[in-house]
Amino acid sequence: MAVPVEDRRRLTSRLSVLQYVITVIFSVLAVGFWALQVVQHAKFEEMAENNHQRTLALRAPRGLVVDRNGRILVENRHSYSISIVREHTKDLNRTIRMLAAVMGLDEAGVRAIVDRHRREPTYRPIVVVQDATLAQVAAVKARRLDFELPDVYVEEVPTRQYPETMGAHLFGYVGEVSDAQVSDQDGLKSGDIVGQSGIEKVYNAMLMGEDGAKRVVVNSVGREIRTLEEDEPTEGKRLQLTIDYDVQKAIEDGFDQLGFNGAAVVLDPGNGDVLGFTSRPAYDPNAFAAGIDRDTWAALTSGEERPLSNRAIQGRYSPGSTFKMAVALAGLEEGIITPDFHAHCAGHANFYGRDFKCWKKGGHGSIDLRHAIEQSCDVYFYTVANMVGVDKINKWATALGLGVKSGIDLPNEVQGLVPSTEWKREKMHEKWYAGETISVGIGQGQVSVTPVSMAVYMSTLANGGTRVTPHLLKAVDDGSGWKDVPAPAPQSTADIDPDKLQAIRDGLWMVVNQAGTGHNAQLKGPDGKPIHDVSGKTGTSQVISNQGKERAGKTEKDLRDNGWFVFFAPRDHPQIAGVVFLEHGVHGANAALVAHHVLDTFFARQDGRPLPPRPTFTPNLKP
Amino acid sequence: MFERRLYYHIDWALLTAVLALCALGVIMIYSTTADPTRGTSRMYLTQLYAIVIGLGAMVFMLTLDYRTFTDKSHLIYFGLIALLLYVMFFGQVQMGARRWIPLKVFNLQPSEFAKVGVALVLAKFFGENRGTPSWTDLAIGGVLTAIPLGLIAKEPDLGTAVTLIPVFIAVAYLAGMRMRILGMLLLAALLAAPIAWKFALKDYQKSRISTFLDPSQDAKGAGYQQIQARITVGSGGLTGKGFKQGTQGQLRFLPVAHNDFIFSVLAEEQGFAGVLVALGLYLFVILRALEAARLAKDRLGAYLVLGVLASFTFQVVYNVTMSAGLAPVKGLTLPLMSYGGSSMIATLAGFGLVLNVRMRRFTN
Repeated sequence: MAVPVEDRRRLTSRLSVLQYVITVIFSVLAVGFWALQVVQHAKFEEMAENNHQRTLALRAPRGLVVDRNGRILVENRHSYSISIVREHTKDLNRTIRMLAAVMGLDEAGVRAIVDRHRREPTYRPIVVVQDATLAQVAAVKARRLDFELPDVYVEEVPTRQYPETMGAHLFGYVGEVSDAQVSDQDGLKSGDIVGQSGIEKVYNAMLMGEDGAKRVVVNSVGREIRTLEEDEPTEGKRLQLTIDYDVQKAIEDGFDQLGFNGAAVVLDPGNGDVLGFTSRPAYDPNAFAAGIDRDTWAALTSGEERPLSNRAIQGRYSPGSTFKMAVALAGLEEGIITPDFHAHCAGHANFYGRDFKCWKKGGHGSIDLRHAIEQSCDVYFYTVANMVGVDKINKWATALGLGVKSGIDLPNEVQGLVPSTEWKREKMHEKWYAGETISVGIGQGQVSVTPVSMAVYMSTLANGGTRVTPHLLKAVDDGSGWKDVPAPAPQSTADIDPDKLQAIRDGLWMVVNQAGTGHNAQLKGPDGKPIHDVSGKTGTSQVISNQGKERAGKTEKDLRDNGWFVFFAPRDHPQIAGVVFLEHGVHGANAALVAHHVLDTFFARQDGRPLPPRPTFTPNLKP
Repeated sequence: MFERRLYYHIDWALLTAVLALCALGVIMIYSTTADPTRGTSRMYLTQLYAIVIGLGAMVFMLTLDYRTFTDKSHLIYFGLIALLLYVMFFGQVQMGARRWIPLKVFNLQPSEFAKVGVALVLAKFFGENRGTPSWTDLAIGGVLTAIPLGLIAKEPDLGTAVTLIPVFIAVAYLAGMRMRILGMLLLAALLAAPIAWKFALKDYQKSRISTFLDPSQDAKGAGYQQIQARITVGSGGLTGKGFKQGTQGQLRFLPVAHNDFIFSVLAEEQGFAGVLVALGLYLFVILRALEAARLAKDRLGAYLVLGVLASFTFQVVYNVTMSAGLAPVKGLTLPLMSYGGSSMIATLAGFGLVLNVRMRRFTN
């Protein structure tokens, strides 16, 4: 059937209309694409790049720490951390829920971590699990292949490792930087791992490396397809410490064997190198390296033990008889006594109307300086102290390093106290009574010292008057080889008459090698004769007065006396000096057991002998 | 039957443009489905097979006079209704919709063929009536369209169902429907929209539309595809990122890149230049087909061409707009380019009818 003309005309015109309409629609489409692809190209290109390119931080390992002989003390291990990157998260709650379920974690805990970092830029990973187990890593990776956790990343990070549980307070520990630290120090950003204590803190700037970065292409589920560019991380500088591994180990073994809390510091009296350093109770720095949980932290910070406090530099204790050398030196150097000065000990003596007892009931009879040191005769030093006066004692004790900070390169050292008339006037607004000086003569009363200052004290007596600064850093390697770090300048130097000093040294030698209380520290050669002229002094200081002890009766509190042993060796050319302090260690002779093991180890290497085995001694607990 | 002289009247230009679009589609499918981590997928081969089968269907549509098909259009129509009913009860469920009849080689999607069937039956119906269609004519034509539309919408496949509406409107328009009525229909559609919103649309459909109006409202959910589509197209620039170099499609930021969003990938990898070429080809195909309608020997032929062309054009325009993130995301493919066997075969068969009408413009 042919189309009528009239019909045909209408059909043609309507087709023309369609033609125009469609042409217009297509033109509009073309303009639309032009607007998107040409006009707004730059904007969309950037959005596309943000879509598929990610910058991932490559964590720099912290520098290694080695001992003075190159033995590794602190290293790094690989660990995995699991983090959420919110940048492309569609449903954060779902991610948190799933991740907690997959990891076997408490959902509220995960949420708390995420909330804490909520205001940070979304591209920055929020670490949910540090040091994840391989099972956790596998679980996340499997879920990611199923596209279920596209916003969860597994990152391989170097983590601090302390191979042996020793010197916890010395090395310190690392942890995530706090907000205060970020705002205080340049170059730190949230999430960085920094030293929080010990040399990790003091030398953090050296130990921290520079993080690198990797720019990668990822697909829509966050899987890495390829690397675009990589900026390698720079490892932190390596540090060599003055610590001698064998000496350090000997200290730790000694304390482990005795089971007392306390502290020990061993120095090279010639330059202040710290050969060994401990504080007990200790903690495991490894526990901090991968983030510490609330319970562990609570256990460390509450209670009587306070393992985080560094007793070697933060504990203040009464020095007891170990203070007597300072009194002796004051008497000698001020010309008030000579080594031949004799005092008569009847077991007690009266000063200013008060009776002061000697520890030996029957008394020592007539006694000179050397023997007074050897026997630790209290009456002798009451007498000398009374003759010298508190201010002269203060002067010489300070010159030897007591009552002042040692300047060791560890954080938060506290200062001990050697009283003086001026001190009392300033602090107590009271006059010093001459009677108070008597107790000071035997290291009681207001005298308090830190273990590290006692090590300096013995070093100064050993080296003839130079108050060395104890220090831990020996050399630094920034990648171009080891460079020695010069020992810090001495804190002060005192002009001491060698002959007078020799009398004190003789007394100390007699303590260990003759009739004194330091026998436990004596080193014997194969023939049974004493070797290396170990010189030292025990000290036993009361935690509570005898009367107080009786009043307290039976109590949970440990009221046993503290025990000191201070030492150097050999007597005439000292190479090692130090202190062992036992909290409630009953008496100084127990501390001498530890010192013996340390000295035995130190000289065994020098003599070419095999190192002594782990000690098996037991402390004498009878008061 | 097929006379030799007819061969000379085949519109080779139109056929070439159609095949060029098919080829472009295969290339883009190859580009998007080749996953570097999993080796090359065989999807592009499946598409090539579909094109070969589609060309066979096209040849079949050419061999017989189009009037033979319109004469049998009621049978074809009822056959299609039967197939749609079969799908409703026995069809295969994929991604929450019952749309497919599983065959050995591929899954048959009857709704794609319904477009051609409706075009045939409407061409026949309006072609038999002389003069301006009456209200009754429009009502009958409307019912003929509404039955398959309802069945397809029920699958649910609202996108494909909606493509039947332009077929009815275009044929009725060409048949001389008064402009006033067209205006009233549009007005009625506008008024019906809120009612449909309230009662007929499913939640996911509502969210797609509301998301389109404000993509940032749900930037990670339904709005995601739309934002990604815009990024994909926009980042292509003037000359594109290069074959297989697109990041949005290759790294799967854009979902179903080989299917609904193939035009976005073309825009990303070939840039504005590639978009102009593809749009030009589509425009050429549509205008050339309109030319066939103008040249048609009878009204029947003209209506048939327009019926086939209406759903094709609607789908092309909608898909391209959606590809640029400028329309709500719907499961509407791009005819001739998107991956999909049924669509390819039905579309090529439809163009067989268009070629047929033009080829037989001088025969009786």
